[in-house]
Amino acid sequence: MTAVDPCDWCEEVLQPYLDRELTEAEREEAESHLAGCSYCRKRYRFEEGLRRYVRQAVVEPMEPALKQRLSELRLEL
Amino acid sequence: MSETSSDEARRLADGARERVRFEEEALALADQVYRVARGLSRSKEEAEDLMQETYARAFRSWRSFTPGTNLRAWLLRILTNLNIDRGRRAQRTPDQQPLEESDYFLYNQLEAASGETEEQRVLERLSQDHVAEALSAVPHDFRDVVVLVDIGDFSYAEAAQILDVPIGTVMSRLHRGRRILKKELADLSVESA
Repeated sequence: MTAVDPCDWCEEVLQPYLDRELTEAEREEAESHLAGCSYCRKRYRFEEGLRRYVRQAVVEPMEPALKQRLSELRLEL
Repeated sequence: MSETSSDEARRLADGARERVRFEEEALALADQVYRVARGLSRSKEEAEDLMQETYARAFRSWRSFTPGTNLRAWLLRILTNLNIDRGRRAQRTPDQQPLEESDYFLYNQLEAASGETEEQRVLERLSQDHVAEALSAVPHDFRDVVVLVDIGDFSYAEAAQILDVPIGTVMSRLHRGRRILKKELADLSVESA
């Protein structure tokens, strides 16, 4: 096995970690690295914050008038 | 053989009840569907048009929905297909553009530019407007996946089902879409600095 820099590996699994798509073993490995590495931990927290920003970028609620129009699209009984 | 009129009436009433239930369940999901529509559209008006087309089609084809399966995914499949049909696909071919930046790239750049070392402070260097602008700059194929997973909260498997692409394609588009998003954000924050 070739030795992989643990921070490089951690960076590689950042996205699937936050998507909860890692296996249990991979998740544990990432968490044990993060527990001891503030460099990666900061970047993970930043990424989580960025995800929140993306989510909030489009949270303007639907206009009530649109909801009404959708409801009017229902088929006649 | 003709059915008696009371059998016929009962059958019609059952069908109507089923349809009303379907319509009500679909409308109850409208806020969640709208979030995705808005994420995929350049403007509120475009998102509203897309919602109306989606619901009109859903109500017409309600019989093709299998009760007990994921209605939200079914609605979003209609929505993403309509979005493609409407020719909103970007003409850019981003696969040809090299994107070498790593996942830590945006953080590293913002940290270096701001001198901040605390991640919350670094994050505050980004504005909400920049995020919306950067998202709209991500080409459609990639944005569809980013919006479904990051805004719609779908798993990779569900996004694959909605977009009718293999799960590996979802993963690679997501990976690339997020990289493009971060690259756009980095450019926007440099411009505004």
